[in-house]
Amino acid sequence: MSGAYRAQADALDARIRGAIAGGALDAAAFDNLACAIFAHQFRWNAAYAAYARSLGVDETCLPRTATAIPAVPAAAFKEAPLCTVPPGEAAVWFETSGTTQGRSGRHYLESPALYEAALLAGFDRALLADGARLRYALLVPDPRERPHSSLGYMLATVARERGDGPPGWYLRANGIDLRALETDVARARADGVAICIATTAFALVALLDELALLGSALPLPPGSRVMETGGFKGRTRVLSREELYRRAAAAFGIDEAAIVAEYGMTELSSQYYDSHASRGTARRVKEPVPWLRPIVVDPAGRPVPDGVVGAIRHLDCANRSSVVAIETEDLGAIVPGGLVLLGREEGAAARGCSLDAEDLIRR
Amino acid sequence: MPKTSSAGSARARLRAIADAAARWCAADFPPRVRASTAIERRLGYSLPVVEVALDRLFGGLTAGALEAAIADELGTLDALDGFVERPGRPPAWARAAGAVTIVSSDTTIGVAIPALAFALAANCAVTVKDRSDDLVAAFAETLGEEHPALGAATSVLRWTGGADEREPHLLGDAAVVVAFGSDEALREIRACCAADATFVPFGRRASAGYVDRAALRDAAATLAGPIARDALLYDGDGCLSLHLLYVERAPDGAHERLIDALATACADALVEFPPGTRPPGRAARAQAFATIGAFRAAHGHGRSLRAADGAWSIVTDPPRGQPLPFGAGVLPVVFVDGLDDAAADLRERGIPLQALGVADPGTADAQRFAERFGAVRIAAFGRLQDPPLSGRHGGRARIADFVRWVDRA
Repeated sequence: MSGAYRAQADALDARIRGAIAGGALDAAAFDNLACAIFAHQFRWNAAYAAYARSLGVDETCLPRTATAIPAVPAAAFKEAPLCTVPPGEAAVWFETSGTTQGRSGRHYLESPALYEAALLAGFDRALLADGARLRYALLVPDPRERPHSSLGYMLATVARERGDGPPGWYLRANGIDLRALETDVARARADGVAICIATTAFALVALLDELALLGSALPLPPGSRVMETGGFKGRTRVLSREELYRRAAAAFGIDEAAIVAEYGMTELSSQYYDSHASRGTARRVKEPVPWLRPIVVDPAGRPVPDGVVGAIRHLDCANRSSVVAIETEDLGAIVPGGLVLLGREEGAAARGCSLDAEDLIRR
Repeated sequence: MPKTSSAGSARARLRAIADAAARWCAADFPPRVRASTAIERRLGYSLPVVEVALDRLFGGLTAGALEAAIADELGTLDALDGFVERPGRPPAWARAAGAVTIVSSDTTIGVAIPALAFALAANCAVTVKDRSDDLVAAFAETLGEEHPALGAATSVLRWTGGADEREPHLLGDAAVVVAFGSDEALREIRACCAADATFVPFGRRASAGYVDRAALRDAAATLAGPIARDALLYDGDGCLSLHLLYVERAPDGAHERLIDALATACADALVEFPPGTRPPGRAARAQAFATIGAFRAAHGHGRSLRAADGAWSIVTDPPRGQPLPFGAGVLPVVFVDGLDDAAADLRERGIPLQALGVADPGTADAQRFAERFGAVRIAAFGRLQDPPLSGRHGGRARIADFVRWVDRA
């Protein structure tokens, strides 16, 4: 890439790193940073720029507030490479899910450095506020088997940078390796090291079902915690989150407040986590990190007042080399402290005798 | 569970049904006013849309239309009252099949009512699972006022599928079960039916339109309005709503001009049928579809036209094989080179078709289109969502399932 690009990218990366390392980012500072990132992407990310131009944006009228930044639909990652460098020059790429369209896309990152800084800072705030050095038991895709899973990459990074040793990976092609997990948990208990089980909701259900079938539990060492992510879309086994957490807390011998839900997307570099204040309560609030901001919009794409349900748009300043504003079909509402997530499925079902996309996917 | 009604002659039953429907045709009939409000609340439609639906539903329920449909299927209305002579065949009587249960939970407006009318015409005792708007219950009350025995033969209940102790009895003891719903719901209901019961499923279906080059050449100016109405009325909820439009590419660009005309027509149609309130999930899905359409358009693939408030969206050339977000004001348009191309696209998307809209349903081509698409109804654009009572919804008989023939040797 050109010197002009490098200079601009490095300057922005430095600002973003500052935001990640710092505390709160006020609205003006966030607007300023997000708009600077958009201007950079408008210049260097051709696919994003083409879309923005089609919406009437040009060099003479770049957005001045974060809410004015054109948001790319998450599905667009399946349509075109959305990156400020040619895809071949991206250091890493993650494969986006193919649930809605049956095909996947790619989130290219010029460098993993910003992504890692963002994910670690978010994880530290949400799960390691006490500075604990935990042992990681991971029920997510192993990057050695699925190198383009963002979730696997994220947790491998957390375990590498924050763990007390190599993590354990327990997801196998035929299910969960419960024996290995039990052995490692017993060892952690003997060592007096707290564990962090990081898992998808679906794998957690499978683990709890298997424990229930065996009539056993998996008590974790004191100070242990669980990070749960993802929903049940497309799965046959669906549990309410309350029921899932109640069962998990009982099986692991931990408080429900020690179970923290993460909400993220492959298309984002930053994540939301249950706010500390809402953990253990019926209504968990997803708290963004300061460099990530949710906007809830109506069907016309206009921001709605706090408390009103709409589609969630994310502005992620750590997405410097891809797209700063992402539009999703996920539903939520802004509340004090963050975002309440309703999930894509609520209110989306067909009302009449006509089909909807979900019917076709199930066929 | 009673098996039949004691409601006199078939003609008297038809007259009572038609008289009750006629009272419901009056916009200020108090039960209709109450039901309209409840439907508006349940489905989120605007009142004018609800009124259109009720006008069409009850306006079609005339004694003449009922008798014509019955005569078409049974030979004569008199067959319901006793043995009738039939040339070349033994005399036969179409007696009531027995108890009928109609499950019409999460459906559009009043789909259970035609089935109820024909089951009652066949002299069956009928149980209907109603929705929270209580439309069927309110109509049954009017029926009872017109003809107490018909009212007594009609039982309207609400229950939660799979979670009500009455359900096994209501489904298992019925001679005929009519059910509307998803594949999953239909499978569950069918499993509860008696072994020898007649199961009449109405699964979820979609409808498509096909505009060929001849129509583009001869009728382009008049097509857009009717197409827009078919797509937007009832917010795409019904299986007869226009969910997908195929347009043949024309060398002179007429197919693209039709899209521009459609955008104008959609805006106009919503003056007649104002949009209501969509659940946020449906709205978000439609928005996402239109936005990704806009993204693709920015990269030279198709177009995405959308009302500023998101009330309607037209997206051309959505990727093949991509599931479509039916309803919520979305009209995907696929440009094709011909019928084979369209049929292949439909197959790739896995869409089971109910009806086909065309410019002129009387042509040989229209018949060929419908056969190729597997549609059970061909209609002119603008009439797609206005099926006559005597038509066969879902390609099924109206009354034949509710009778058992008794032959006399």
